[in-house]
Amino acid sequence: MLFFRSEERVREWCEARGWPVRPLVRMNQLWGLATAWYATRLQPDSRRPRPAEMRGIFAGLGLDDDFWSPEKNL
Amino acid sequence: MDIDLEVKLAVYGYFVETSARPASDEVARRLGVSVGTVRDAFARLRAQRLLFLEEDGEIRMAPPFSGIPTQHVVDVGGRSYFANCAWDALGIPAALRKEAAVLSRCEQSGVPLRLAVGLEGPEPSDWLFHCAVPAARWWDDLVFT
Repeated sequence: MLFFRSEERVREWCEARGWPVRPLVRMNQLWGLATAWYATRLQPDSRRPRPAEMRGIFAGLGLDDDFWSPEKNL
Repeated sequence: MDIDLEVKLAVYGYFVETSARPASDEVARRLGVSVGTVRDAFARLRAQRLLFLEEDGEIRMAPPFSGIPTQHVVDVGGRSYFANCAWDALGIPAALRKEAAVLSRCEQSGVPLRLAVGLEGPEPSDWLFHCAVPAARWWDDLVFT
């Protein structure tokens, strides 16, 4: 889970390793993921999102590719 | 309060206060319980995916905090924290609910990133986040992910 300056840099990095380019995430989407996972992490009643909740979080941020499925082993 | 919750709060509290991971004996001392009790709680919290442990049973990660230095540094109010990954780099200000500066780099070019994060999110930026591992496999090898 890494930062890249541009889509071109992502493609170069993936090609060098023979790996597929996965869905790209913008910073505002990443903030949505960060808050969904961690905004309550320091509080007593916090927990990780469950798989069904994860699907909803991803979809709400426009991340609806199968890559984001907590069950599909791509 | 059950012991797992006490241990979790003690671990996160230690990270917030010190930027470092607590050893099991430090958590035991703070809570007034045995090291074995803390180690057992660590293992259960690992099973819940709230902690990630070293092979010796000590803490490697309490996401979003990293117990070891990484390329993702988050400066908050004069204290620097290490994050496990790009996601967790934004997760630290989200968890602390404080303004922060995220310092990292482009993994391909090495160009440095300095991203200001406010209470409502990061400043406008055209940088991108990429994850090579599909969501279903994130915890198969969390260090690689």
